[in-house]
Amino acid sequence: MMETSSRRSGGPVTSMRQAWRLMELSAPLHPILVHFTIALMIASLGADTIGYLFSVASLADTGWWTMVGSLAVTPLTLITGAISRRRIPIEEGPARSFVRSHMALGPVVFGLLVALMVWRAEFWQHGHFVSGWYLLGVYGAGLVMTVQGYLGGEIVYRYGAEVKRAYREMPGHSTQGLPPLLPSSSRVSASVREAMNASREESE
Amino acid sequence: MTPTAFLGLHPFQWLAVITAGATLLLLVDAFVGHYRRAFAYRMQYAPLVTGLLLIVSSLAAAIFSGPAWLNQLLWGVGWLAAVSGLIGFGYHVYYGIVTKPGGVKWLLHYLMYGAPILAPLGLTATGVLGVITARGLSGEGRVFGLDMPVALCIFVAIMLAGTIVQAAILHYRGAFNNPVMYAPLTVPALTMLAGVWMALAPSTLVRAAFAVLLWMTLLVGFIGFGMHLRGLDREMGGLYIWLFNLLEGPPQGAPGLFIALAAVGLVGIYLL
Repeated sequence: MMETSSRRSGGPVTSMRQAWRLMELSAPLHPILVHFTIALMIASLGADTIGYLFSVASLADTGWWTMVGSLAVTPLTLITGAISRRRIPIEEGPARSFVRSHMALGPVVFGLLVALMVWRAEFWQHGHFVSGWYLLGVYGAGLVMTVQGYLGGEIVYRYGAEVKRAYREMPGHSTQGLPPLLPSSSRVSASVREAMNASREESE
Repeated sequence: MTPTAFLGLHPFQWLAVITAGATLLLLVDAFVGHYRRAFAYRMQYAPLVTGLLLIVSSLAAAIFSGPAWLNQLLWGVGWLAAVSGLIGFGYHVYYGIVTKPGGVKWLLHYLMYGAPILAPLGLTATGVLGVITARGLSGEGRVFGLDMPVALCIFVAIMLAGTIVQAAILHYRGAFNNPVMYAPLTVPALTMLAGVWMALAPSTLVRAAFAVLLWMTLLVGFIGFGMHLRGLDREMGGLYIWLFNLLEGPPQGAPGLFIALAAVGLVGIYLL
């Protein structure tokens, strides 16, 4: 332990083992991986759509391999999502509702990808272009994924899951600020905000 | 219909992969359930041992498809797993109901709160699937006196019936607190009926209906996965105190059985 800390503070690294011990990945992996799932799936959708409309064989291949990539990375996305959830002690409230919905929808998106992948494999195996019905299915799955992405975005950007207090603050950031209001809870939150402002003024 | 390869794998290689996957999911739930009871009986280790053997032999048969001894091994391990599941069923009935205060007079109570009565038969089923797979990999077109596709339809129908009953018992215990908890009693039940129909009087129409229902059952399985994960997070503390809630929450691997059975059915109708 002492040895590792001395290396960390600038001492020479003389073996692979020491180098391995110094490796540190502090950023949560889930928000990184989720972009691969989404981007590859959307890329597949785009390539297949254009390939279908203009009969471009290379785009059909792109559609297949990007779908393979999307499906391959998704189990890791799910696992890292569960790991991220383990790190955040969320109390009962709107934030946790978002987390629960996000958790419920994750495996559904994976299931849709599995089903689409099998369907897509049929076209690839026989060297055919995808059908209109398949594209309709992918657009449907894309819609579900959009909802899932929105829920994930709310968890990070509104409630700061795994971000709040974990990173350096941006210039001009106020620690006194409250999270942006939800439309549905604006009345409650406004009253909470008033009460907090009042208590701050009292303490000043 | 001659067997058709899919993505370079023979249908029975796919069945071997499905056998391994389904067994893994069963083992996760068996481990959690038996760990919760602190492995009070040594026999509680049995499904883990036979299940692991089944996973290894299935994967080996899928990867190195060909050697006769490997198929024979899968056949033997399949029967071992099937028997161990039957013994487990006896244990669950005896120690989970008969010897409990009130015994069978409190049947409904122990069905809900005792050891899950049908869970060990899941291992029996994956064992039987291993046996069917081994026969298929050996090049045989019939098993248990039936053509392979018919045998698989009947297998899926029987297994779905058991899974639906077990899900119904446990969701009843959960007071069907979410409407989605009725899902295992709807689409999979229709799939089961279509499977029986397909086995008895196959036709193009029944086959199409069976295929659609199998796809829907597959999605129901994934929805179940999501909802069970959500159920785990509804417990106090959720995944933040994951071990406790994993022991007390909904069984995480259980909905996977619907996925596995749907996949078996799909292999049966599309590739065989």
